[in-house]
Amino acid sequence: MKRFLYLALPLFSIVGCNMEKEIEIVLPPHEPQLVVECYLEQGRPFQATILETSSYFDAPTPPIVPDAEVYITFRDKRVKLTYRPGFNNRTNSYYTHSSYAKMYGKPGEVYGIEVTDSKGRKVTGFTTILPKVPISKVEWKFNNKDKAYLLTTFQDDPNIRNFYRYMTHRDSLQRGSQREFTTNDELTNGKETSYGSAYDYEEGDTLILSLFNIEEQYYEFLRSAEDAKNSNGNPFAQPAKVRSSVQGGLGIFTNLAVDRDTVIIAKP
Amino acid sequence: MYNFAHYDQTIVCMLFYFCRFFLFFVLISLSLTGYSQNFGVSGIVRSAADNEALIGATVSVPQLRIGTTTDAKGFYSLSLPAGTHELQTTYIGFLPATQTITVTTSAQTINISLQATENQLREVVIEGNSLQRKLTDNRMSVEQLSSVEAKLLPALFGEVDLIKTLQLKPGVQSGGEGSSGLYVRGGGPDQNLVLLDDAVIYNPSHLFGFFSVFNPDAVRNVELYKGGFPAQFGGRLSSVLDVRMNQGNNEKLRTSGGIGLISSRLSLDGPIVKDKLTFLVSGRRTYVDTFTRVLNKMNEDNKEYSPIPDYYFYDFNARLNYKPTPNDEITLSGYFGRDFFTFDDADFNFSFDWGNTMGVLNWRHDYNSRLVSNTSVSATGYQYNIQNQIDVFSFNLLSDVKDITLKTDYIWTLNDKHSIKFGAQATDHRFTVGRLNFKSDDANQNFSAGNNYKASEFGAYISDDFTVNPLLSLNYGLRVSGFNSQGKTYAALEPRAAARYSLSDKTSVKASYASMMQYIHLVANSGASLPTDIWFPSTPRVKPQRSQQVAAGISHLFGDGKYLVTNETYYKWMHRQIDFRDGANLFVNDSLENEFLFGKGESYGNEIYFEKIKGRTTGWIGYTLSWTYRQFDEINEGRRFPTRYDRRHDMSLVLLHKLNKRLSLTGAFVYGTGNAFSLPVARFAFQDVQGEEPSYVPIYEDRNSFRLDAFHRLDLGVVWKLKPKRGEADLTFNAYNAYNRRNPYFVYFEQLKDEEENQTIGFRAKQVSLFPVIPSVTYNFRF
Repeated sequence: MKRFLYLALPLFSIVGCNMEKEIEIVLPPHEPQLVVECYLEQGRPFQATILETSSYFDAPTPPIVPDAEVYITFRDKRVKLTYRPGFNNRTNSYYTHSSYAKMYGKPGEVYGIEVTDSKGRKVTGFTTILPKVPISKVEWKFNNKDKAYLLTTFQDDPNIRNFYRYMTHRDSLQRGSQREFTTNDELTNGKETSYGSAYDYEEGDTLILSLFNIEEQYYEFLRSAEDAKNSNGNPFAQPAKVRSSVQGGLGIFTNLAVDRDTVIIAKP
Repeated sequence: MYNFAHYDQTIVCMLFYFCRFFLFFVLISLSLTGYSQNFGVSGIVRSAADNEALIGATVSVPQLRIGTTTDAKGFYSLSLPAGTHELQTTYIGFLPATQTITVTTSAQTINISLQATENQLREVVIEGNSLQRKLTDNRMSVEQLSSVEAKLLPALFGEVDLIKTLQLKPGVQSGGEGSSGLYVRGGGPDQNLVLLDDAVIYNPSHLFGFFSVFNPDAVRNVELYKGGFPAQFGGRLSSVLDVRMNQGNNEKLRTSGGIGLISSRLSLDGPIVKDKLTFLVSGRRTYVDTFTRVLNKMNEDNKEYSPIPDYYFYDFNARLNYKPTPNDEITLSGYFGRDFFTFDDADFNFSFDWGNTMGVLNWRHDYNSRLVSNTSVSATGYQYNIQNQIDVFSFNLLSDVKDITLKTDYIWTLNDKHSIKFGAQATDHRFTVGRLNFKSDDANQNFSAGNNYKASEFGAYISDDFTVNPLLSLNYGLRVSGFNSQGKTYAALEPRAAARYSLSDKTSVKASYASMMQYIHLVANSGASLPTDIWFPSTPRVKPQRSQQVAAGISHLFGDGKYLVTNETYYKWMHRQIDFRDGANLFVNDSLENEFLFGKGESYGNEIYFEKIKGRTTGWIGYTLSWTYRQFDEINEGRRFPTRYDRRHDMSLVLLHKLNKRLSLTGAFVYGTGNAFSLPVARFAFQDVQGEEPSYVPIYEDRNSFRLDAFHRLDLGVVWKLKPKRGEADLTFNAYNAYNRRNPYFVYFEQLKDEEENQTIGFRAKQVSLFPVIPSVTYNFRF
């Protein structure tokens, strides 16, 4: 809705004054909550990031929780993730807890997470392993300015309530995605669906296309986190609360069932 | 709630009660008629200058303490005993008229002509005896305003706006800086029934609420009911805004208009066939786009320059009045308005237009001096349409609502004690909700979504204005309303009642009760009036909203009739209020009903209004103390929360001072408690799955638990009458926000970054204001 502010630009340009100023806001005391960010991937070690929430004006560095104990449960097993902060070069992200055990879940299996700390806080969550949904077709078309648009196609299963996240990265996964969609089953149910782009690409561009088959709880988390971010600074938005997939704290615990394709744009 | 199986039974039951109620007071009335020996006196009150009917003029016989006000057609009707009486007629801006009439043994028609207080620009004179009328009027919680009054007051960019003038009345609040939304006694802007010549206007604003759609040159009179709703009105919970267009001058062709800072207006009206057929056409258009286009053209070669999108709006009003016989009047009114926002570029083409369309054909027939009918058929609609073309991809999003309404109203003056109003209306609604079409030129992409809904709404009512004795008068009535959509029928009884008791000839007390139903709902959670807000019908899952309001007040006239002070206290219950779940997708959603949440609300407060309308200095002071809350199980963890427009204190002071015949000064000062709003109290860091820069996700807790700073503003104006060779003209100078107060519009948290490392180093709160001092000048003319 922020874009509607631009409707008023012609009027504001008339008055052309600086209408912003810094003000002091006194926030109520905040009791920090545990925040979990943990994605299970086939054949990859368990890694989780356990942090705390901060009062809005606190220092930007997120508080870590060294005394947090983290367990992943599945098939009557209970794997402890040790506090061992590190950086995952593949995903370009930090983690605080990890184990050497790897995840080999089958679709339909349920994995759990349990986080406790010395303050008596406890966070739990569950995720059901999902199968990949394959990208069935990738195609591109050039216009007369030598720019191409890209179409990534897949077939949705009409019998399953699927949610999808699609990302396009240029050259490498190390940088942020260049294009992203998150869709629910009402848009895609049973259809052959294509995610498109604008005429953004040139001959020789390397694109990494990722199609995530995601859980509804992950879809809700992504949507609500995005809404919460957009609420700040938008006079027309209602505040949005983040819908976490875990209980007793905030955050996301899910599994990533991703089909990935790398293409180099070439002229026919 | 009724399911369909019970529908027939329910309707039969309601009709039974309705008929019983009707018979009850007809019998009472007839029995009273048997004892009275009064005779009907009726007619039309008109302006002598142009023969236009005057709405809301007071016609009374002071000796008998009998009086009435003219309706939307200028019609009045009194029942008087045989004999000779002094008939007094008063109206704002006109000289009072007194004439001696002799009532004989038959009904008679007496039409009345009033002279304007002066020939030149009567706009700058507000006189009359309307305070006495307010004191003795059965109705309470009603604000009246003529465009004549509104034109006097200073306005944003010099754009006279009747709705913004109404915001200066107690119990009526604006949504925020510059907004033309009406928040009446705790109700939302979607809960106002906005009528233009009896046809609904669904979105009465331009430029997401900064200006209203009512061109002051085309509008003659506005009445705003905040409570005590007469039974003829239904369909919204919180207020009725009854706007009437000018009828057209019957004497000569007249041209009027104005040239302002951002828009110009032009109106023509006059007789086509004298005393038979008159017309009015009126238009208004903004022209900021012409300047921005020039600016864009000048910077065509500047690669750093971002072109400013085109924006403009226009309104067009037209009306024909035809009087084939002295007892018949046929009017045809129309309105068409559009906002356009476009951006055109080689690769990116975006256009967004929205607006209302309305047409109404009305036939008024006087059967005799005691029975008058108004029958109309109207078509009205609101539509927005977004079109976007990027390369070969086109995107089109459209929503609209279209109504066709048949309506008939009767006024039956039984005797000097009873005036009965009854009528019925039926509306066919068509809704298009989020019709999306996305496709590519090569047909590789083709996606569409959206829903259509049909619904029908009906209402029937009967009410009685019962003058029990000169001291006590009552108005009681009943409305039966119903709604059918998707096989589900809802029906309700809406009782209405009001009473006035005169403690003395200077003091009266009033009380009222009104029950209201609302069957269609605005899908909006922005709190502002956005063009993309869409209307949605009640369905099996979305139940109608309901409100009940009680109000009590006292009015006292003093200072030789110069001053009137009124105090009103109200309490309003609101049931099945609508909100939307967090993060609701209201744009393109085929399962929109899943996003609705239902709760309840309450609003209560006290309004004090002091006004002076005689003399060189006129004006009013209004003060409202109020509380407004909503409660939803799924919001705020079920705890009640204040609405954004919950305003503890709201004060307005309006002054008009006539320095001399050519120069008038005007001023308006407003003060209000800051709007309630939500801020995140905490945050957490979120990395995401793949190579993302960590972001900060805000955590919101209690809804609307913060307050913006208090809002206050002073607007000043000068009206300087010119002496043109022909006709009349004036220059109006305005200073909006004269002392340049930076009123808060919203607050947000900003992330501070280290410029070299691009690392977040902290956060701070920023407050955004909209309008500094804005001077403007408008040239108005009439000949």
